[in-house]
Amino acid sequence: MTQAEIKLCSLLLQEHFGEIVEKIGTYLVRTGGQPLRVIVSDTGTSLDQVKKALCVLIQHNLGTYQIQKRGFVEYSVQCSRVLCILRYPRYIYTAKTLYGDTGELIVEELLLNGKMPMSAVVTKVADRLTETMEDGKTMDYTEVSSTFVRLADTHFVQRCPGVPDASGPSDSAAPPAPTLVIDEKDMYSVPRLNLIGKGKRRRSCDDDDNGEHKAKKQKQDLESQEPPPDDGIYWQVNRDRFHQHFRDQAIVSAVANRMDQTSSEIVRTMLRMSEVTTSSNAAYTQPLSSNEIFRSLPAGYNIGKQVLDQYLTLLADDPLEFIGKSGDSGGGMYVVNLHKALASLATATLESIVQERFGSRCARIFRLLLRKKHLEQKQVEDFAMIPAKEAKDMLYKMLSENFVSLQEIPKTPDHAPSRTFYLYTVNVLASTRMLLHRCYKSVANLIERRQYETRENKRLLEKSQRVEAILASMQATGAEEVQLQEIEEMITAPERQQLESLKHTVNKIDASENQVDETIFLLASYVDSTVVAAAKKP
Amino acid sequence: MPHTDAQQRAMAINRLLSMGQLDLLRSNAGLLYRVKDSQNTSKMKGSDNQEKLVYQIIEDAGNKGIWSRDIRYKSNLPLTEINKILKNLESKKLIKAVKSVAASKKKVYMLYNLQPDRSVTGGAWYSDQDFESEFVEVLNQQCFKFLQSKAEAARESKQNPMIQRNSSFASSHEVWKYICELGISKVELSMEDIETILNTLIYDGKVEMTIIAAKEGTVGSVDGQMKLYRAVNPIIQPTGLVRTPCGLCPVFDDCHEGGEISPSNCIYMTEWLEF
Repeated sequence: MTQAEIKLCSLLLQEHFGEIVEKIGTYLVRTGGQPLRVIVSDTGTSLDQVKKALCVLIQHNLGTYQIQKRGFVEYSVQCSRVLCILRYPRYIYTAKTLYGDTGELIVEELLLNGKMPMSAVVTKVADRLTETMEDGKTMDYTEVSSTFVRLADTHFVQRCPGVPDASGPSDSAAPPAPTLVIDEKDMYSVPRLNLIGKGKRRRSCDDDDNGEHKAKKQKQDLESQEPPPDDGIYWQVNRDRFHQHFRDQAIVSAVANRMDQTSSEIVRTMLRMSEVTTSSNAAYTQPLSSNEIFRSLPAGYNIGKQVLDQYLTLLADDPLEFIGKSGDSGGGMYVVNLHKALASLATATLESIVQERFGSRCARIFRLLLRKKHLEQKQVEDFAMIPAKEAKDMLYKMLSENFVSLQEIPKTPDHAPSRTFYLYTVNVLASTRMLLHRCYKSVANLIERRQYETRENKRLLEKSQRVEAILASMQATGAEEVQLQEIEEMITAPERQQLESLKHTVNKIDASENQVDETIFLLASYVDSTVVAAAKKP
Repeated sequence: MPHTDAQQRAMAINRLLSMGQLDLLRSNAGLLYRVKDSQNTSKMKGSDNQEKLVYQIIEDAGNKGIWSRDIRYKSNLPLTEINKILKNLESKKLIKAVKSVAASKKKVYMLYNLQPDRSVTGGAWYSDQDFESEFVEVLNQQCFKFLQSKAEAARESKQNPMIQRNSSFASSHEVWKYICELGISKVELSMEDIETILNTLIYDGKVEMTIIAAKEGTVGSVDGQMKLYRAVNPIIQPTGLVRTPCGLCPVFDDCHEGGEISPSNCIYMTEWLEF
């Protein structure tokens, strides 16, 4: 855990869960797994609060526990899970594009609550959807349930590991902590629930102009007293599946940029067919035959079989090497080179960063070094056709920022500088890690700036909130137009402008946090995939 | 020569050699003699043996020229002598000094009427020892525009993808012909020159290259291969990190909360937020 990651984790925990959870969470991220007593003594918080904080962390899938050999339980928090909080808006947006508003709300509820049983999710989502619909219409539970089932079928939500049935002999001592088990095939199977009902419109306590609804609300509350039929089966969002989806999206858009729309659709089809058959760490998808691809193309694309074959050949021959041909049976077997694709995307990210920071000539030198691996100073000047002085300047600048490194090859055993070759080279993995660290620090900076801006204008925000509350209550009691205007004028024009600019600032910072998170995702996927590939090699 | 005996021949040859009328050469059969050009001999009159030796060394170097230290090694003469002789020869307009583009302080000497070799002057990209960066830039852009328009035309034709892709390629020979016809270059450019320019476009990420096997004799093929170039788009948009001020900040490493430079009082952020 680097310093920047820990800082970012603590900021995120504080923003979403409060001070106490932040303290405990940061402590656990920094020191790894610790038993309960040690946490209490080291952080100086009371046992009660520590327990509550751990509950919150475990509920939101940020923390886990493990029974150690000696018999005590260690709690730990995983840094990577906390950093995924940054990506929640992207998860919700993806669900919206794929499954509409219903899907969006389901994912949102699951993310807000960590783990929930299906019936609770369906009820809440139906209620929320009914809120936004017109008067008189309500959302049916069956629609929400069917969307939920579709989400489970495509593995976007999964079941949490649960307590196993009490099958062991009853005289053995109960373990200090239950071991949660989940069967592979049960992970995505939705229990048969008979959820009948409609969404209820919720009225907030302030607007009670229609008094008759109050009575109805109390009656409906009584109905939901009995325990839901799927007690004990909790669902959570499957982050890995979302990450897989983001990665596929990145690959498809890269192909669309390099070639044309039809090729990207073909790649999208191939990736969709391998969604559930390929694990997320695999370097290649399963081989797909060209006949299968032809059958699975979306209905709108009626291109002929020969044209499809030509596209596949073109994709396989492209220097990008995203698609590879692995055999000739079934009209040609094609695989998607996931690792290669991630590597290309990561290198393209690196090149784009170098270009924006140092200029396009530096980017030329950088790409040259990427291709030719090791070059001398003179060769760099010759190949890149840049005057010697400028080339030297640029190389030294990039060297000082650690984008390129020097490899010494001595001619003589005494390593005399005048008799040594100095070769410039780019180490992609090292540069990626360095930039990843920089991204984490940037996001932390952005969050701090946003909090600072909000703190500065706290007084103004509170004032505007008070005014709004007064306005709302006066509207409810039927005040006159003049009085309303008087109250509105309590906020002067420059203050209004300040509020506007504050809103604009906060939105902008939020948007840029998401953008940096996209970069983080690409770079982190590349690092993970390379580490896995290196571990697999004997 | 039938009617002289060996001793008389040897004496005559020695006399001619000392007068500078003959050149002495060695071949694997023995020694050979060659009559020297009469103009050359007049030039060398008045120069002594050392100068003749130095002149011969420089002549042997051909059009690559030779450095003064190398002359010293080959002739075993002391430095002061060499310098005097070189000055003498230069004033007689027999040799000239050419500055090498590789090491600007180094001077190589070659015969007066020889054209310096490409490796010394740098070829088409150097004019008077200066690297012509604007010229390279202009050529760069022209080649790119040519390839881009070819790719556009191929895309619009909307035929089946194989033909589209193949027609968007241009061989290095075509690009060379286009540039020659454009006439923006004062210097005659060869196909290798154009290929170096196209390589820089590849390093810019704007162009990709493939090599195909071509029949001997087709226009532009070298050793049975042809290089084809095609304009391409970058595969990703400028990435998220560089859209925030932190990605491009020069004082990033000094920035932390509570310090002189911190996110709360960052002037770059303030400017950026006012957009």
